[in-house]
This record gives sequence, C-alpha cells and structure tokens, in this order.
Amino acid sequence: MTDWNAMTDAEFRKEVRQFFEAEYPEELRHLPHRPKFAEIEHWHRKLHAKGWVAPAWPAEFGGMGLNAAKLLIFYEEQQRWGVNRGRDMGVQMVGPLIIKFGTQEQKDYWLPRILTCEDIWCQGYSEPGAGSDLANLRTRADIDGDDFVINGQKIWTTMAHDATHIFMLVRTDPEAPKKQQGISFVLAPMDQPGVEVRTITTLSGETEFCEVFFDDARTPRENLVGELNKGWTMAKALLSFERIFIGSPSLAQNALGQLESFARGRGAFDDPVFRDRFAQAALDVEDHAALYARFADQLKRGETLGADVSMLKIWVTECFQRITELMIEAAGPDGGSIGPLQVGNINVDVLASFYKARPTTIYGGSNEIQRNILSKAVLGLPG
Amino acid sequence: MVRELAEAGVFGVAVPEDQGGLGMGLAAGGVIAEEVGRVIAPEPVVSTIGLSLGLLRRLCPDHPKMAQLIGGEISLAVAWQERGPDGAPADATCRYADGKLTGGKAWVVGAIGSHGFLVVAEQDDGPVLVLAEADAQGLVIDKRTQADGSSLGELSFSGTPAAELASSGAVLTALAEAVADATALAAAELVGLSERAFEITLDYIKTREQFDKPIGSFQVIQHRAVDLNVMCEVAQAGVREALAQMDSETDPKVRAPIASRAKARAVTAAKKITRDAIQLHGAVGYTDEFDIGLYLNRALVLSAWLGDDAYHRRIWFETREAEGAAQ
Ligand SMILES: Cc1cc2nc3c(=O)[nH]c(=O)nc-3n(C[C@H](O)[C@H](O)[C@H](O)COP(=O)(O)OP(=O)(O)OC[C@H]3O[C@@H](n4cnc5c(N)ncnc54)[C@H](O)[C@@H]3O)c2cc1C
Repeated sequence: MTDWNAMTDAEFRKEVRQFFEAEYPEELRHLPHRPKFAEIEHWHRKLHAKGWVAPAWPAEFGGMGLNAAKLLIFYEEQQRWGVNRGRDMGVQMVGPLIIKFGTQEQKDYWLPRILTCEDIWCQGYSEPGAGSDLANLRTRADIDGDDFVINGQKIWTTMAHDATHIFMLVRTDPEAPKKQQGISFVLAPMDQPGVEVRTITTLSGETEFCEVFFDDARTPRENLVGELNKGWTMAKALLSFERIFIGSPSLAQNALGQLESFARGRGAFDDPVFRDRFAQAALDVEDHAALYARFADQLKRGETLGADVSMLKIWVTECFQRITELMIEAAGPDGGSIGPLQVGNINVDVLASFYKARPTTIYGGSNEIQRNILSKAVLGLPG
Repeated sequence: MVRELAEAGVFGVAVPEDQGGLGMGLAAGGVIAEEVGRVIAPEPVVSTIGLSLGLLRRLCPDHPKMAQLIGGEISLAVAWQERGPDGAPADATCRYADGKLTGGKAWVVGAIGSHGFLVVAEQDDGPVLVLAEADAQGLVIDKRTQADGSSLGELSFSGTPAAELASSGAVLTALAEAVADATALAAAELVGLSERAFEITLDYIKTREQFDKPIGSFQVIQHRAVDLNVMCEVAQAGVREALAQMDSETDPKVRAPIASRAKARAVTAAKKITRDAIQLHGAVGYTDEFDIGLYLNRALVLSAWLGDDAYHRRIWFETREAEGAAQ
C-alpha cells in the first residue's frame, strides 16, 4: 500500500498528472454534461483497479487516505485535465458519513459497493418547500415494524434517473420543538414500487436532475445512519472540506482559457473595451488563485478552515459567470447559437459554458446564503 | 515620525545589505506600506523606498545621499514626467547641458519640503539622471494641492545647476524598475488603507442604530459589507503574491506587468471600498469630522499616482500580448 502522504507535493502531483494524462480517455475530457454511469464505466474500472476511486477515504476502507494537502492536489489535477468526477456522490457524500457515523455492518456492506459503483447514489435533500431553508423539509419516514415507510417528495435530485440508491434527510419526529431536530439520515433503494422518478429538463436542454416521489416506499430500519433525529448535525459536519473544493479556481481558469482562444480567434481583442473586460476577468481569476493558495496553505499546515473560506466560492462562481458572459459577447451574432462554434482549429461551445456557470451560484449553498454566513460568522454582524 | 521610521530601518528595507539597507526585499516593503496605508500617514515612505532609493541603488549605490535617505535625514523627490500643452502627460523634453537644467517636470510627489530633486532629463547623447538642490537657482516649484491635503510639485528649471549622477540607457531601465517597485508598493499602501477603511465601516454599522436596530442587521448592508470584505481579502492576497513574485524575478519585462496586476487590483478595491464606506456612514461620512472621508481622499490620490486601475489593466494586457507575440 503506497503512503501517498509521505511523498513530496511535487512527486505526488507528477504521479497523479501522469496517470490522468496517460489513462483518461481523450473524448471524455471536459465533458459539458453530467454523464450516465455507462458512459464513464470504462474509466471508472481503470480508476478502481488503480485504487483511486476514493482519494479522501482512509486506506482501511479502500481509499487513498490522502491528507488535505494531497487531496487538494489530486482534485486540482483532476480539474486541470478535465477529468470527469464520475458518479461520485457515493464517494463524496454517503461514504464519509457512513465512515464517520455508520455501524460496522453498514461499513462492511455499503463501502465496497460504493467503490465498485455497484450502487450508484443520488442526494435527496432538497424539496419543493425546502431549498435554502433545508430544515423545512417535510418528507416523512415513519417506523413500521422493521422498516421505515417514506412519504413525500424530493426535487433537484441530480442524476436520480441513473441511480440505484438515494441518501436522504427525512423527518422522523414531526413533533420536535425545532425544525432542525427530528430529522434523520436514511439510505433507500430506488428500485421499488413506492419510488417514482421524473426527470426535469434544464435550461440547456439536459436531463441532469429529477423529482423523486415517495409513496409508501420502504427501507429497512438498519438503513438509518447515525442516531435517530440527529441527521441535521451529521449532514452539516460533512461540509467543511467541500467548502474549499467548491471555491477552487479551476472552473474559472478553464473557462478563461477557452475565452481567450475564442476571443482571439474572433478578433474580439481589437476592441479596447473588450480587452479591458478580459483583463479584468483574467486578473480576477489570478488574484482569486492567490487567495485560494492562502486557504490551501492553511490546510497544508493542518489547520481547520473557518467560515471565511466561503468567500472563495462567492468570488469564483461570480467570476466564472462573467467569463462565460464575455464568451457570448465575443460570439456576437452567434451568441444565441446552440452547439460548438468553430474558431481556427478549436471548437468552443459558448452556450454550454454559459449554462454551466448559471447554477454554480445556486447550489452548494447559494451565494446569498454564503453572504449571510460570512456576515454573521466572520464579520460578526447582528440579527 | 520620519526619523522613527528610519530608525526602524523602514527606508532601507529593499536596499541590499551591502549597500547599507536591510536587504529584505519588496515583500517586506509591502508589509510596511500596508501599515502606512492603514494610518494614512502622509510620510514619503513608498516614494522613498520605491523611487528615490530605487533609482540610486540601481544607478549610483555609493552616492553619499543613499545613506542620508536610508537614515531619514533627507528626502529627495523624483521628477521624470512632463505635462504637454494640453495638460496631459507628454514626451520628455527637459534638457541638461553644461551642468544646467532647462524645462519642466510635473506630478512630482513630495516636492514640497524635499531637500532636492532627482531629475531624469535629456542631454545630447541620451538620458541622464541629475541632482538639483531644492534651493537651486532658477528652480520654481508650483504646488497643486491634492484631495488628501498633500501636494504635487510642478517644477520649472531655467538654467538650474544640477549635478550629473548617471547617464545612458541605464537611466531609463533603472527608472522603469523603480517605477514598477513604487507602483507595487503603492498597491500595498492601498491594501492597508482599504482594510482599515473597511474595519472602521464595520464598527460603524455595528453601532449605528436606525429603526431600533443596528444598521448592520439589515441584509442589504450585510451583503455589501461581505462583498467589501471579500474584495479586501482578494486584494491583499493578490498584492502580496505579486510583491513576492517581484522579489524572485529579475527580468524587468516580467516584473512590470506584475506591478500592474497589483496596482490594478488595489485601486479597484480601494475605490469601491472607500466609496461604499461613505455610503454606509450616511451623512456623517460626507463631513470632514469623521476619519472615513480621509481614507476616501487618500485613496483618490494614491489611485491617480503612477496609474489607476484602467491604465494598469491596459499595460498588463499589452505586455502579455507582446510576450505572446514574441514567443
Ligand atoms: C444544478 C443543480 C443541481 C442540484 N442537485 C441537487 C441534488 O442532487 N440534491 C439536492 O438535494 N439538491 C440539489 N440541488 C438543489 C440545491 O441545493 C438548491 O437549489 C439550493 O439549496 C437552493 O434552493 P432553491 O433552489 O429552492 O432556492 P431558494 O432557496 O428558493 O432560493 C431562491 C433565491 O432566494 C435566495 N434566498 C433564499 N433564502 C435567502 C435568505 N435567507 N437570504 C437571502 N436570499 C435568500 C436564494 O439565494 C436564491 O437566490 C441542485 C440544484 C441545482 C441548481
């Protein structure tokens, strides 16, 4: 078993980069949509054979056991090469929760199946009445003998139509005095009569997310993870690393590279106004990367990140949006056209980038919610 | 205060140790400049570290004025830009011949109270750096008062005696380097200024009450405050990184756009932060009773000095294009 953490950062980066560059299929680089499992299955098998499916999990559970610094490098390289994250909700979200709060039986049963993608997971948190105010969720799970009986509706469930299991936050105690109490974390199979999945088409015409309806759906009581009615605090405990990951510069950096080649090809730099806005965007990306490096160094020194790390997400997602808006401007009369636009010997799908940038300020805690958090937790503002 | 700064080694921070300085580089200079910015000190710290010492240490490190500058005994203003008939910056025409200067220089920081002037002029065989004493014959100093109460000097020389310090192309190279240093340090000064202006504003919105609540409890105000805070942090990270890069880089062609990146960022942040700070203070922010306005005024001056954000984005872009074309 390799001790990756013992390597220098540079050695490790090289190793990861070489593997991605040699093994990742060219046609899957920078995929503009979320793939179904079948589309990336071949790559997943390679990753699995290498033992690299779960970089953050401890080695004893089949992960790479990377510390925060190495993990950051792994993701940086993944994004740099445009390697698709695959169907990673099992690895990123359920796995860590089971590792932290699950029973031995749960670990033995579920973790290997996540690694092989025998089970493919989707995240059932949001509901029609519970978006930013997630604690408002109403989908119920009532105990009936050895089962939970689930009734209600989830929405915006990414790739639920290509998932075998759903991990969800459900209300198990409707009488609890605070709405954050009385919520539990349960796992449920999708393939059963009480679960109905309807896809929702996005603005860009993709089917990425779904509504999931539960009508007396059942899941065994042993699929409760952690204590009953303690789901809220557990789900929150997981967010800390995600917050730097979601603020990493790579999305904006990749888009900026695209913008530059596209704008150059189209002669947009002849316009001094465009030049200035490009320079603004480029410097926004560069200075964000400097701030990101400051937080990354904090992780590397073994410190835990504070709430202030959210500023990375606010800045980079809004910057990403501006960059894709500039791409549309550079496209001129082609700015409303679907599909790749040819410029010299490259193809740029201007609208795909634009659409991809839109939800980044909505999911992962909307940017307004991030601002609420920063104003209270970092600036100490009242109310 | 200048003597205290000098005793702390502030002025010699970027001067190599074998030339009598601390040899700590621009990054350390930036930390000092941030502090100067926080207290909006009217001292010529950045212009001395970046411009006068920046020129002398590159062109004539053995000159006795070096030690005096480092020791805070004197200050020397640097004069290189000229104003054309339309009032805008113009090509240099100020002449140096037979030991005398003729012509004019504009936008000279620290001209009032300076012990002398380091003037970049033209002579028959190219550029020259000369030293004119403040009380030299035929030197007239016109002052233009700035928003922060400081002044810029407009100098006119008519046969003003001056001593040659260096000549040839090296003068322009050293000038460009010194200007790049000063530009990046001014960026750091703006970062410190922005941070302090933000802190003052944050305290204010926590204490000022309207509608029976602190105004900082209103979400609009909170989100604006967060945006200013994020802008501040990005500026600090970007400018500090730029200064460190300038220390590890020797090629002037590479250093110049890094300085531009720093100044562009710092000006953008400082403008936004100081102007929003006034808005968040309400009417009291528009009076001269309250410190916050001093930060706005100082930001105006530091933004216009050595190029504002739009100017530096242009330089940054053009240098990048020229390099791309060269490759
Ligand atoms: C592409 C995509 C994929 C997603 N995938 C999943 C998934 O797999 N599983 C899942 O469970 N969820 C998923 N979501 C849902 C996501 O978590 C929610 O969209 C998010 O929590 C916001 O909720 P909402 O859409 O209901 O918006 P709302 O909460 O209704 O917000 C609407 C607007 O109001 C603002 N707002 C709300 N409250 C406040 C406040 N207190 N102060 C200021 N402004 C406020 C918001 O910022 C936003 O601008 C996905 C969303 C998207 C866009």
